[in-house]
Amino acid sequence: MAEPDFEAQLSRMFAEPPSFPDAALFNAEMAAKLDRGWAMRRMFIGAAGVAAGLIAAFQILSTRFSSEVSQLSKSSSHSFETEISAGVAKFNAVLTTPSSAEAVWLAAGLAVVAIAFFVTRVVEDF
Amino acid sequence: MGMERPPTGHDVELAASAAAGDRQAYGELVRRHGSTVRGLLRRLGADSASADDLAQDAFMTGFEQVADYRGEGTFGAWIKKIAARLYLKKVRRDARLIFSDNAEPVEEVMVRDASGDAASRIDLDEALKALSRGERLCVSLCYGADWSHAEAAEALNIPIGTVKSHVKRGLDKLRAKLARPEEGARREAHG
Repeated sequence: MAEPDFEAQLSRMFAEPPSFPDAALFNAEMAAKLDRGWAMRRMFIGAAGVAAGLIAAFQILSTRFSSEVSQLSKSSSHSFETEISAGVAKFNAVLTTPSSAEAVWLAAGLAVVAIAFFVTRVVEDF
Repeated sequence: MGMERPPTGHDVELAASAAAGDRQAYGELVRRHGSTVRGLLRRLGADSASADDLAQDAFMTGFEQVADYRGEGTFGAWIKKIAARLYLKKVRRDARLIFSDNAEPVEEVMVRDASGDAASRIDLDEALKALSRGERLCVSLCYGADWSHAEAAEALNIPIGTVKSHVKRGLDKLRAKLARPEEGARREAHG
């Protein structure tokens, strides 16, 4: 038999898929694995959404607080303790003024939406 | 609720659906190519349990990367490439990738076909046992997974000349093994 013929025959033999008696079981296991992987991915996305919402909320709060502190240090010549106490007072004010409260509520709302998304996904999957 | 029909269509269409998150479409691809991948891994030298674990890993990897498959070449060749890479990674990790000139006894790994309608396949599986691990790997990669000699050399981290010599020796052994039944039949016919 010529070499190319034999190589072609060999390729054909390799291309023939073997018959496995447990092929259905293998397919079922793969389907279950795909479903588990998909569920894990959705849980991960949900968890990432919650984490992102919380980080965003903390970022908003800390940014507003630090800008208030820097404004305080620039504009006043008070003592350090006074500045700190004024900063704390300002921080409290940040939480109570209408615009800041809006930001806090927005962040909290985002976090709640993210949690709701996460819970919905989990409930759908299990 | 009615019974869900399995998705139909060409592999490329199913792969596109799978890339959009359709697990049923990918399940159909698993059904179509599962046995091929399992068979390839056994022919490369994996034992039955490892071969099936690796086949599942290959399909899971394939699902994650299915958006990269755009229909250049067959899906079967694409997924076989992934499976072969995973197998090589495993044997490297297990430090079992040894290229020697001596024919090593190869574990009995092939599943017998109960129907007995694939004599040539059984012959191939039997014949592969006569090859050393290196020969078997190189021949199965080049003829079973459709790798070029260069691709096999790069993946195995050996010179291309070594791959060629393993393939040549492997082919010689396979030719001798696979020719025997034909010669026997011919002798019977003439006798």
